[in-house]
Amino acid sequence: MPRGCAALLPGVCAALADPRQPGLDDTCLEKLLDWFRSLTWFDPTVELVQDNPCLTELISSVLALPEPSPSILSFTLQLAGILASSESRFQHLQQEKLLERLFGQAGPRGRAVWEDASVRSGWVKGVHSMVHHQPALHLLCSEGGMDVIFTLQGDPSLFVASAASQLLVHILTFSVESEPSKPLGTKDCEWPACAQMIKRHIEESLQSSSASRIEQSLKLLTSLFGSCYAAWTEALWLDIAKQIESFLMEETVQAQHLLANLLLNVARSPVFCDTEGSFWALVTSALEHLTPVQAGPLAVGLLKLCKCPQDVRIQALTVLLQPMDCILRAASQPLEYAGLLDESVSDPVTVESLLSSKTSCAGLLCQTLAHLEKLLSLKHLEVDLPCMSLLRSLMAILQFCNGFLSPASPLGSTISRNLINCFRVQKSALDVLAALSEKKGCDTLLGSLFDVLLAYLESPNTSPTVLKKAFQATSKWLMHLQELSCSSSQCQRTEKILKDVFVVLQKRLCSPCWEVRDSSLEFLTAMIKCLRDQDEFRQCLLSSEVPRLTENLLEDPESYVRASAVTAVGHLACITYFAPESPVLGNQDNKENTVAKLQEILSTDSEGFPRRAVISIFTKWLREGCTGQLEDTEQFVSRVIQTVEHDLDWEVRLGGLELVEAFCSQTICQRGLSECPYAPAPSAATSASHQQDLLQGFCRAKLFGFLFRSLCDCDKPVGQRACDILIGLRGNFYPMSTLENPREIGDSPAGRGIAWLQRTLRQGSLAQNFPTGGDNGVDFQDPESMMVALGAIDLLELHDELNKSSDHVEESPQSLLQDILATVGTIEDNEVDCY
Amino acid sequence: FTACSSCPGAGQDVGRSCILVSIAGKNVMLDCGMHMGYNDDRRFPDFSYITQNGRLTDFLDCVIISHFHLDHCGALPYFSEMVGYDGPIYMTHPTKAICPILLEDYRKITVDKKGETNFFTSQMIKDCMKKVVAVHLHQTVQVDEELEIKAYYAGHVLGAAMFQIKVGCESVVYTGDYNMTPDRHLGAAWIDKCRPDLLISESTYATTIRDSKRCRERDFLKKVHETVERGGKVLIPVFALGRAQELCILLETFWERMNLKAPIYFSTGLTEKANHYYKLFITWTNQKIRKTFVQRNMFEFKHIKAFDRAFADNPGPMVVFATPGMLHAGQSLQIFRKWAGNEKNMVIMPGYCVQGTVGHKILSGQRKLEMEGRQILEVKMQVEYMSFSAHADAKGIMQLIRQAEPRNVLLVHGEAKKMEFLKQKIEQEFHVNCYMPANGETTTIFTNPCIPVDISLGLLKREAAIGPVPDAKKPKLMHGTLLMKDNSFRLVSPEQALKELGLAEHQLRFTCRVHIQDPRKEHETVLRVYNHLKGVLKDYSVQHLPDGSITVESILIQATAHSEDQGTKVLLVSWTYQDEELGSYLTSLLKKGLPQSTA
Repeated sequence: MPRGCAALLPGVCAALADPRQPGLDDTCLEKLLDWFRSLTWFDPTVELVQDNPCLTELISSVLALPEPSPSILSFTLQLAGILASSESRFQHLQQEKLLERLFGQAGPRGRAVWEDASVRSGWVKGVHSMVHHQPALHLLCSEGGMDVIFTLQGDPSLFVASAASQLLVHILTFSVESEPSKPLGTKDCEWPACAQMIKRHIEESLQSSSASRIEQSLKLLTSLFGSCYAAWTEALWLDIAKQIESFLMEETVQAQHLLANLLLNVARSPVFCDTEGSFWALVTSALEHLTPVQAGPLAVGLLKLCKCPQDVRIQALTVLLQPMDCILRAASQPLEYAGLLDESVSDPVTVESLLSSKTSCAGLLCQTLAHLEKLLSLKHLEVDLPCMSLLRSLMAILQFCNGFLSPASPLGSTISRNLINCFRVQKSALDVLAALSEKKGCDTLLGSLFDVLLAYLESPNTSPTVLKKAFQATSKWLMHLQELSCSSSQCQRTEKILKDVFVVLQKRLCSPCWEVRDSSLEFLTAMIKCLRDQDEFRQCLLSSEVPRLTENLLEDPESYVRASAVTAVGHLACITYFAPESPVLGNQDNKENTVAKLQEILSTDSEGFPRRAVISIFTKWLREGCTGQLEDTEQFVSRVIQTVEHDLDWEVRLGGLELVEAFCSQTICQRGLSECPYAPAPSAATSASHQQDLLQGFCRAKLFGFLFRSLCDCDKPVGQRACDILIGLRGNFYPMSTLENPREIGDSPAGRGIAWLQRTLRQGSLAQNFPTGGDNGVDFQDPESMMVALGAIDLLELHDELNKSSDHVEESPQSLLQDILATVGTIEDNEVDCY
Repeated sequence: FTACSSCPGAGQDVGRSCILVSIAGKNVMLDCGMHMGYNDDRRFPDFSYITQNGRLTDFLDCVIISHFHLDHCGALPYFSEMVGYDGPIYMTHPTKAICPILLEDYRKITVDKKGETNFFTSQMIKDCMKKVVAVHLHQTVQVDEELEIKAYYAGHVLGAAMFQIKVGCESVVYTGDYNMTPDRHLGAAWIDKCRPDLLISESTYATTIRDSKRCRERDFLKKVHETVERGGKVLIPVFALGRAQELCILLETFWERMNLKAPIYFSTGLTEKANHYYKLFITWTNQKIRKTFVQRNMFEFKHIKAFDRAFADNPGPMVVFATPGMLHAGQSLQIFRKWAGNEKNMVIMPGYCVQGTVGHKILSGQRKLEMEGRQILEVKMQVEYMSFSAHADAKGIMQLIRQAEPRNVLLVHGEAKKMEFLKQKIEQEFHVNCYMPANGETTTIFTNPCIPVDISLGLLKREAAIGPVPDAKKPKLMHGTLLMKDNSFRLVSPEQALKELGLAEHQLRFTCRVHIQDPRKEHETVLRVYNHLKGVLKDYSVQHLPDGSITVESILIQATAHSEDQGTKVLLVSWTYQDEELGSYLTSLLKKGLPQSTA
């Protein structure tokens, strides 16, 4: 423990134990416990408690209080548990029987204060921290602690109940694994005493008639098999498997989803991966017996497993595909399409009845679709998905939802009634649709797919959230369309689709709802990003009204929309004004207009988002070489820097620094200087003249003033970034080796200025304040001075300072102790207030 | 019906407000707040308690946010964009507009820290806000076919609302934070006499007897005035929007009245922003502001000007509102550092500060602060704490209960021990149950809902025609078949029910054996019975059939001799359920035996 903290600790302990002190903020106590946890984690020695007797004193004085406050008692229980986590400290505390008095029968368990959930929670957490060695386990068992934990599993507080369950898992694992290793059988007597108790408790609970006890045990088993993969878990499983099977078959217990969770965790455990027969037979029968809604999570979990019998996988997939199959059959004429599934495998009655019911239809479909989306996102799936039929089924769902499909079959018409205007299902289906775009084999359906999507994009009934998903799915499928080989008929079709898309987009860009305008702009940007190289796309886009409407949105009243418009305009410019092969090329006015507009937004927009968008577009342009010749670029950069330097939004300033960084590395590359310090060096003479050019260029662009002032920015990330850039630049002018030994500053007028700068920075980076009046003779545009500054200022030291603590929320333990002491010291109880 | 409320978040006043309500099978999450005091997972509510029930979007029917304070909405982008909730989110229009500003503010502070992961980005905040459905006051919003919500004015901050959640005839009202007394820019909370089954009320100030607001304001103005008079500078660290505007109005009017000349500044950019929103949502402010708005916008301050970094070094007195409110970063901390060393200056902290911040340190009386790089900053300026937040006190809570007339009350946001008094008072005065669940505890409330049932017109007409004329005062008994399908209840005629359900009709007959002593032949006994019944049941059609049996309406009577005792005859009486009354009457009649001599 640091000396400063050790000195403060006795005072803090005394204050905590003093019942007259006002209650402390719970966060302080929690953080104090965090600190003790970190102190004891790697250090089992007794020193902590020996050297700081105040800790034991704190525990005994809290124990001596007739009516301790629940929060202090809870804290003490947890603290004692943390301290007692090593055997030596446990013994030290037990010299005064402290742990027995806290966790034993005589402790708070029997007192009125036990009514308070925080005390019970503290007790459970304390025991959890403590039980890492046999004496602790012994103490717990001998003092009747196990029964307390069993009871707490059903605690009215969710937190306590869940912590108790976790604790039992921990104790069981610890108890088995701390005994000398011998293979465990199913016979009770072979298990260590404490494990036996828990095992028996689980078995008894499972056989009891109480639903809540059964649920508790199922939860416990689920987390046990989820966290412990030791071989002995198999013995436990063999013991309870019959019971689990009977729950599945008899359906007397309403805990089907817990059973599914349990089976999934057992299936995941490597212990069971080779089990031929019984376990997987149980899983198979679970897939059969559980309702589709209950079996869904189990099925998707099984499909993610690497090791799982293929027939189980196929059955799991069947569970997931059944609703989709049912939809497809309900939607189509008999024999029109083969269904998704071989009918003999599936019994469609349950699914049909679920889909026919208004209440369960949307729920089942949403869940199924979410599972399918998960499956589609997996890189490796050991079974084949029937993508084409899946796509048909998805299209049917989407058409049911917007009323475009109302088949004559009774099931079909019921489902269409159930689904019409159901946003939840629409969103889920569109998500899956987007994910499906990456699969092959659906190309014959592209035409009708885009019809469905366009209907969604066009319809005024499409809600903004659904529209956003429809846009996302459309852009994914457009990308897919582009990847297809381009025969002339294909090209025509693509062109037609694109034209239709732009017509819709035009309308959507004028929507009164800002969410829609924003999603439309995001969609446009996404399209440009992935389709910019495609001629049809560019032609369709440029011949539509979309570019003009997009520029109009730069003046949108909603700042989010303005920001998205800036991004879209920025990307548009890349394929229009800045693209060499562009039809609009040469229209210098337009180009300058756009740049000027964005520049204006950067300097005048009252909201941060559009300004941030402008600066990142400028950086993008610079990186892509859109900003023109080098001379232009220097001017451009210097203008932007001057604008962002005083921006109120730190992210805009940070964006400005990114622009500077991009500019520097680009210029260095263009001047033929390698950015890499290890690259073969050009001859000294050329190198020197290049350096001179470079430095002059940077000075003309007014980089240095911005960079050095940013070192003192009131927002730390800005200072850190500026420092990184300066260190990088220095490497271009001075050998790397000199970085650690800054140059002396000569006594010239320029030198005096730099010396002032050096002093200012040393204080300023800490005070985060660059003097506002005058630069004391520092000429940030003078290459010579800047060369001196780069060489003389200890950037590494600054870098360390800036990185030492990057926030002002002091997180050191010493500060915490000081704060606690100060808080309990204040006489007035400042009314805690929610601002 | 059970309405369970549990808080996956902590219930202290700066904690994570997050309540889960299950009402008639619908699950609604009320608020989704964060805890400002933590930098790790603990800052967000533990949603794993909800995800145990399956996918969030499937489990939850909607999320409702009461107002824009971070302890009520701070975890929302995390919840919707990172945990993966994709369902509807509701809040009022001003809350939707202002929420992202505060979330951005907080994000800035958080990402400022090194190694900060697991935190939402600007894009996530936007994506989250795009999912929000904004609601108007008193507008009934249909979340789905059964679930509807309605917002009521809550005072507290601009756009704060109480929400009524209704499924069928069961309802819950959630107050969020509210204020029952109007202040300078907001009105008082108000709600219908909506008689919810449960009222979930905040009780932050349930036990605090607060000195009068006027006193606090006078005290504040006096302190500012004195400091300015002696040439000192006053720093007021605030959050962008909220109570800051109340203080601005207070100072502005005071400056006007006293004709003071010292400049007042507000963090640049924010005045405009605040102004913009207050103009936009002028209907959410109080009557006085709305009335005078046409002549003069109260938020266009004459004395309060935008602040520039350079002004901090200006000589002479001034008052500066700067962000952020806990003095832990940015402009407010920068100014604090400049002014801290001068005892003429003053800093007024108008809100709560979390441990570790400079604000917390100076409020707890620390005067030598170790800043970075082992620099010690000596704080000589005066430090004042002044709470201006607007919550209902015990009186206000009672007033709201009187307004809404709930059947049960549940108090959140407060210390159980201290709230006991209020609980007793509520139970005594209103004779309702009052609950105070601890964090993570579930409260279950049972109600007796009246369930509306649709009745088919045909059945209604038919039943109305039978018996006395319908009378509004006398309940009338009707017979029909109750169909429960697709969450709706319908009363239809049995025939229609059979038709709808595709079931065949079965006749049920009740049969009873009656033994009578009669040594005569069977057909003679039958004749005796027939004559007896004919005499007693004059209004009914009693028939003696050729096969030897008797019918009385649908009731059939046959006689056989007892197998062992020829002197005893067994009468088999059977009837359908429609004639049950007559059937049982007949049996009891026959059990009494036949009259001795019949003609």
